[in-house]
Amino acid sequence: AGGMAAPTMEERKACWGARDEFWQCLDSHGDDAAKCEKLRRAFESRCPQQWVKHFDKRRDFLKYKKKLETEGFHPYKAAGKS
Amino acid sequence: PQLPLRHRLAVTAAVTFTVAAGWLYLRRQKQQQHQQRHLRHLRSLSLGQGDFQLQDTSGTTRSKADFLGSWVLLYFGFTHCPDVCPEQLERLSRALELLEAQPGLPPVQPVFVTVDPQRDDVAALGRYLRDFHPRFLGLTGSPGQVREVAARFRVYVSAGPPDSDGDYVVDHSVITFLLDPDGMFRDCYGSARTAEEVARSVRGHMESYRPLSP
Repeated sequence: AGGMAAPTMEERKACWGARDEFWQCLDSHGDDAAKCEKLRRAFESRCPQQWVKHFDKRRDFLKYKKKLETEGFHPYKAAGKS
Repeated sequence: PQLPLRHRLAVTAAVTFTVAAGWLYLRRQKQQQHQQRHLRHLRSLSLGQGDFQLQDTSGTTRSKADFLGSWVLLYFGFTHCPDVCPEQLERLSRALELLEAQPGLPPVQPVFVTVDPQRDDVAALGRYLRDFHPRFLGLTGSPGQVREVAARFRVYVSAGPPDSDGDYVVDHSVITFLLDPDGMFRDCYGSARTAEEVARSVRGHMESYRPLSP
């Protein structure tokens, strides 16, 4: 087994905390990432690169899911854009 | 002449009670039949059949025979997992505590099999599992051995591309398998089930379990 060791429980919790703070900032600034630069950098420094990518995708998914739940699914609407 | 009022009320109550009891009985029968059908279907998939050879966190080789006689809750994951695996292990640990609090139930052996044997050696698993239920047993092996066990349980495993640090995540099915003391697959629990639901289900299986005749 090579490479770096897996994050410990403390490191995981520090990462999740930084992520949650960043997401809370995004929530209160309408997802304007420019308003949350500092927290974004903290999030990136506390979490492995792979986890940052994973959580970014997760946030996109959660937002998409929320959109489906509130607005409903309109496939033909998307077709009009292209 | 008609029966007095109180006699008519008594008869009505008795009839209502009988109908209600009959309906509840039939409904329970239907639920049990449905559950039996579901379990028969799961068993026909023959999940987890056949032997395996993996190493536990003390470096000892373990095979299926080592687990016979015990109920087993088996989860596939990896130590570099961002969130799902710690959540699932936390949930399983909680389910185990709930079961342990109930007198008269046999102990359940929790098992964690890594889907990332390249990084999760015996030492890495030992470190990782320290944060969860003390009886959690970690299993690892060669990529071939691990791949075979995952395939027997139809667990999807797909390692992502490594980044500039050589780090990667492993996409995998998130399921916990319940095996009975005969080593037979009994049930499985997805990520949405709560610790309470898992404990309740395991207890139900324990109560309805009949050992296979030798």
